Amino acid sequence: MKREIKIVIGMILLVGIFLTIQTASALDVTYCCEKTKSGGWCQNAAQDKCDTKFQMAATSCESTSYCRMGCCFDSQEGTCKENTPEKICNDNDGVWAASASCEIPQCELGCCLIGEQAAFSSLTRCKRLSSLYGLEINFRPDITDELECIASATADVKGACVFEEDFANTCVFMTKGECQKKIDAGENATFYEDVLCSDEELGTDCAPTTRTTCVEGKDEVYFVDSCGNVANVYDSTKATNKLYWSEVVKTGDACGITDVNGNADSKTCGNCDYFLGSTCKKASVANKATYGDYICADLGCTYNGNRYEHGETWCVNSQGVAGNLPGSRYFRLVCYNGDVTVEPCADFRGEICKQTAVRGFRNAACVANKWQTCTGQSDVADCLNTDVRDCQWISDRCVPVYAPGFNFWANAGTCAAGTLSYTVTYEKRIIGDWECKENCEYCKGEDGCTRSGDTVALLNNICTSYGDCGIKTNFIGVQGFNTESVISQKEQVK
Amino acid sequence: MEERRGKKAQVTIFIIVAIIVVVAGILIYIFLPEIKGALGVEAESPSVILENCLASKEIGDNIEVIARQGGYMEPEHYILYQGEKIEYLCYSEEYYRTCVMQQPMLKKHIEKEIQASIADDVKQCFDDLKNDYERQGYDVNLGAGDIGVELLPQRIVLTFNKALTLTRGETKSYPTTKVILNNNLYELVSIADSILSWEAVAGDVETTTYMDYYHNLKVEKLKQGDGSTIYILTDRNTGDKLQFASRSVALPPGYGLDGVTYEK
Repeated sequence: MKREIKIVIGMILLVGIFLTIQTASALDVTYCCEKTKSGGWCQNAAQDKCDTKFQMAATSCESTSYCRMGCCFDSQEGTCKENTPEKICNDNDGVWAASASCEIPQCELGCCLIGEQAAFSSLTRCKRLSSLYGLEINFRPDITDELECIASATADVKGACVFEEDFANTCVFMTKGECQKKIDAGENATFYEDVLCSDEELGTDCAPTTRTTCVEGKDEVYFVDSCGNVANVYDSTKATNKLYWSEVVKTGDACGITDVNGNADSKTCGNCDYFLGSTCKKASVANKATYGDYICADLGCTYNGNRYEHGETWCVNSQGVAGNLPGSRYFRLVCYNGDVTVEPCADFRGEICKQTAVRGFRNAACVANKWQTCTGQSDVADCLNTDVRDCQWISDRCVPVYAPGFNFWANAGTCAAGTLSYTVTYEKRIIGDWECKENCEYCKGEDGCTRSGDTVALLNNICTSYGDCGIKTNFIGVQGFNTESVISQKEQVK
Repeated sequence: MEERRGKKAQVTIFIIVAIIVVVAGILIYIFLPEIKGALGVEAESPSVILENCLASKEIGDNIEVIARQGGYMEPEHYILYQGEKIEYLCYSEEYYRTCVMQQPMLKKHIEKEIQASIADDVKQCFDDLKNDYERQGYDVNLGAGDIGVELLPQRIVLTFNKALTLTRGETKSYPTTKVILNNNLYELVSIADSILSWEAVAGDVETTTYMDYYHNLKVEKLKQGDGSTIYILTDRNTGDKLQFASRSVALPPGYGLDGVTYEK
């Protein structure tokens, strides 16, 4: 009987242990939730985050059938979406393929030459663009580089298309193809390549004017003739120049081509350049062009009294970042189209802002703060290898340059690495008092102690480098709980 | 005495004339469609009437709300940003992992959302349209049918596949009625698609690349404390906006220091 009781107790214990292990592992194991309680599809998460109305399994989503990642192809739009679960794709009427990076024939990219423009897209997308814009396409699968594709876009030949309307000889500036359509439709039209409608020799009713306009998709300010046709780039010195109103002048041969600011705010030249910081816009009353209502508007920005060029990005010295104080964060500012936008880098100083300049043009980026491997380095060269990590060598220790931030309210104990322990050795002779012998820079108050303010500062510097640790204020200057360093002292008598 | 009486009569006449004018005005206002019909004035086309009606119902506001909430009228999986719910279109619960696409067919989805959000207003507008024509003396036959919404470059086309037949002497048939709204949502959705693809593959996007390509586009990237990123795309010319959220390759706070000890 006693033996039976022992067996039963033993079994209960075994079952108990088994259940405890199961419960503990259930909390630790990552599940593939088909849907999480917060509404996310196909997420690897803790079991308690899974929506129980949907499937879940104690494995990663890559290993499940219901959350297999692949490529979702939109057969109508011709677009491909990477990293899409099969179910989500199918539910949205997409075509799913088992290639998360979309390496499938339907998604193979080529150069889609459409009108005067080019797009690096799939063939289906190219056809879709053709139907959307009503333009003929030329798909070049042999061009496999986006930049090459964009460079291969060529403008259609344009010129004066002269025809008769209401018993008058009139003209429209258009492409050769468009004019050919008129001719094919039976109209008595003639095309003159690279000739403007205002050319006197054409004998049309279109004449030069001093009116100007902006053209959609172009940066420059253009003259307009009396028929409303766009002529050459606005150049006040050539407003009455017959030759300038006769032939097409390329923007590269037009006025102000050497101007480094893209003729921003020029009253005389409309050869704007977006990449140099100007584009065609309606002129303000205070800054009118010599002729017409449009001007090359300056796209630069002013921020805190400083001038920034269009396209410049820079790091801002936000509160507390100099000391990487708790709560501080790096920010990148961007100047585009006269607007300054703020881009916060990842919080908790997970990213830092780094800035360079090429011939005075500032360029900044939020980059990952690579501090995680600092503490494991014992070699100075390895520690200071900036390609791999952002660390510094302080007093024989490798510590982060940019102290990371902690969500200390949820992740206590992360300052453990910054807690330094030293053994201070004292000696006492038969006659005399205790005397410090080793690590005397860390002891306090006894004979032989050499601890100074510098030591305290050094130790605090090491400690604070590990994160939101040590004696610090927060980013708005409020002092933390620690007001003096605590160095634990252990006395050891030899 | 007689002069006084004459003045009184004049005032009375003025009052009567004023009352007649006011009453006539009200009657003309109320019976304007019938008067137009009786005079044989051609009625406005159904698409113009619908366009005006839908404009009065402010369906543009619905589209704006959908665009500001990541393409959803009622976001389900969202991040709160300045009081607005912004749907995650690509999301990873884990740190360091690229996101999983949550809405691979964004354009189609937005079209469905717009369709659902305007259905009641469209029904109301068709009822008004029917009444309007009937008051003008038309015999109106309105068939049943669905609403088609299509995002296209620089416009949103609403197609009402309800066959409408108007008879007043002659018969006019409108198998479908189209209303075109000026909106650049198509362009913004295309850019959002591209951003989401980068987020799913690389976990981040360089905003200036897009602003270099599209001169009228403003791209704002706002990283949040939990590793989420909110994107705000704005057409600088029209002010059209599309907002959406993503969480990809999120960096954890304080990771890596737990359990690390350093003794000398």
